[in-house]
Amino acid sequence: MTGAPLLEIENLRTYFYARSKQAFIRAVDGVTLSIARGETLGVVGESGSGKSVTALSITGLVSAGPGVISGTIAFRADGVEHNLLQDLEQYVRLKERDGRIVEVSKDEPGWRKAVERLMAPVRGKEIAMIFQSPKSALNPFARVGDQITEAIRLHTRAKNPGEAKERALHWLERVKIDSPRLRFDNHPYGLSGGMCQRAVIAMALASEPSLLIADEPTTGLDATIQSEIVGLLAELKAEFGIATLLISHDIRAISRLADNVAVMYGGTVVEHGPAPDVLAPGFAPKHPYTTALLASIPSVQNVRDKGYLTVVEGEVPDAVDLPRGCRFYARCNRVTDDIRDKCAHHEPELKEVTPGHHVRCWLSAE
Amino acid sequence: MTRYSQIAGEGRDASDLPVWRSADTLDLAYIGYGLLIVALVLVSYVLGVFNWLPHDPEQIRFDLLNAPPGSAGHLLGTDFLGRDILSRLIVAIQAYFLPGLVAIVISLMVGTTLGALAGYRGGEVEVLVTYVNNLVDSFPRLVLILLVIAAFKADIYYIMIIVGVTGVPVVASLVAGKIAFLRQKHFIEAALVLGLPSHVIVLKHILWYHCGPLLVIRATIGMGEAILIETSLSYLGFGVQEPMPSWGNMVQAGANYFFQGKFWPSTAPALAILLTILGFHLLGDGLNSILEDRGGK
Repeated sequence: MTGAPLLEIENLRTYFYARSKQAFIRAVDGVTLSIARGETLGVVGESGSGKSVTALSITGLVSAGPGVISGTIAFRADGVEHNLLQDLEQYVRLKERDGRIVEVSKDEPGWRKAVERLMAPVRGKEIAMIFQSPKSALNPFARVGDQITEAIRLHTRAKNPGEAKERALHWLERVKIDSPRLRFDNHPYGLSGGMCQRAVIAMALASEPSLLIADEPTTGLDATIQSEIVGLLAELKAEFGIATLLISHDIRAISRLADNVAVMYGGTVVEHGPAPDVLAPGFAPKHPYTTALLASIPSVQNVRDKGYLTVVEGEVPDAVDLPRGCRFYARCNRVTDDIRDKCAHHEPELKEVTPGHHVRCWLSAE
Repeated sequence: MTRYSQIAGEGRDASDLPVWRSADTLDLAYIGYGLLIVALVLVSYVLGVFNWLPHDPEQIRFDLLNAPPGSAGHLLGTDFLGRDILSRLIVAIQAYFLPGLVAIVISLMVGTTLGALAGYRGGEVEVLVTYVNNLVDSFPRLVLILLVIAAFKADIYYIMIIVGVTGVPVVASLVAGKIAFLRQKHFIEAALVLGLPSHVIVLKHILWYHCGPLLVIRATIGMGEAILIETSLSYLGFGVQEPMPSWGNMVQAGANYFFQGKFWPSTAPALAILLTILGFHLLGDGLNSILEDRGGK
């Protein structure tokens, strides 16, 4: 349980080439994160801040299309360290002219094979994923139970069909689907969104992974179901202690589940630290973006204090043309004259402000 | 099971109902008619194979030239050589049944493979498959068949291989389109993250669960097309040759006597063609509306 973290992402850059602009869309631009065994890391941020692409990069789903990925993702399981991005860069050739990338040629079959080779030992077995829209994450024409059974037979020692079915039923019970035996035989379209999400969670957990990636698991569900799913995830966390990367817009879900929180903005992490510190209302020592994000949550406290909800002015920076200085500079309301110059032209480092709490801001760097 | 969920107040969902219960009556009628035709074709094929026929189809009787239906035990009459039309109609199914199956198997197998490759792999493979498809598609079918006949010989199997190959693009684009549609849903990604090998995803989760109905429908329509091609060629004299009967050459031979008032030698095979092809097409159509249109749910 001690020593190196389970998952260590170092300087991850996932770019997509936009031919029309002759430039990269820098969806993820220098993300460094780590997750220890048993830890739940919450990732928050606006749409377009690179949260989901980070998750897709970890699971090797960036293979299709013009995606280019660099950095290291170290994943340690069973005493073996896997670099999930090993040598992937060699399959991509860039052609530059006048500082513009005029062509990206990618050895697609080679890339695909390499990804498959790198992912084969971990996908499903060690890393499982819960998706945003549970209904589309299940094969609509296959029975729910069969899909779970398939995962079990693939990854656990329960190889014979009867035994695997028992395990699947057990997991359906575990995620509190009512009448699991009936649901086993249902097709996904016969299940509600909440039930589908429970089935997806059962499918992810059934192979007993060491890392669970939950990409906005409550988006698209109604409010009561959302809190039920969050409750379920909290219970499962307490019971199994599976390390989880929880990506969500829902700050309440994050604050309930996460041990640590990373705040993403413009493709990078701007703040990273223990959940209570990062999610505490107020100012110092925090990134102005986190403060603004927290102030925009509809909560009794916020409304009582201000009488209205604040919005974060402006929009997420264009991922093609990211600003040279601080990414949040254009929207920041706390920039002072002393540091204005630095903010506009130099990107701040991720700096430790209190033990374990890092902030990427010139205010905190002083 | 159904009763339990009713008691539990959850109602029945569509997955509990057999597919024909929720289907449109007209579609069921189409399918019923289509299945009847398929059954008739199958039975006739077996009758022909074992030679269980009302009369010898090649026995020539000069005393009964172009005899009208019903005369002397000939239910549909006789043709210009006094041969029994009904027996010849039944035997003629030999001309297209197996060759038609060959054509279907070729177009389905090759088409599914190419379509799955193009849809699943994408990128350069897709471009390549699209080019091959367009190439094959841009060649007029009949011209290609006539070329093959000229180069080799007028063998029905050669013709049906061409029919099969020219049927590939349709199947390939159907399968590729289906996969492109399924890709918008995330269960393929989910299956990948679950660690399922690609061949399991393609064979089981895409082809088995999603493309089965599509292929059955394509097969029935393909059979209709194969029959039509065979009959047209035989009518033109390129397909099955006399004295072997084929619906096409029967219509052709009978047509000479049509305006002498002896309409039955050509009308009987023509009707057989019409009803059979209609049957295969309606079957495909009906299956399409009850099996494929549920996909969105």
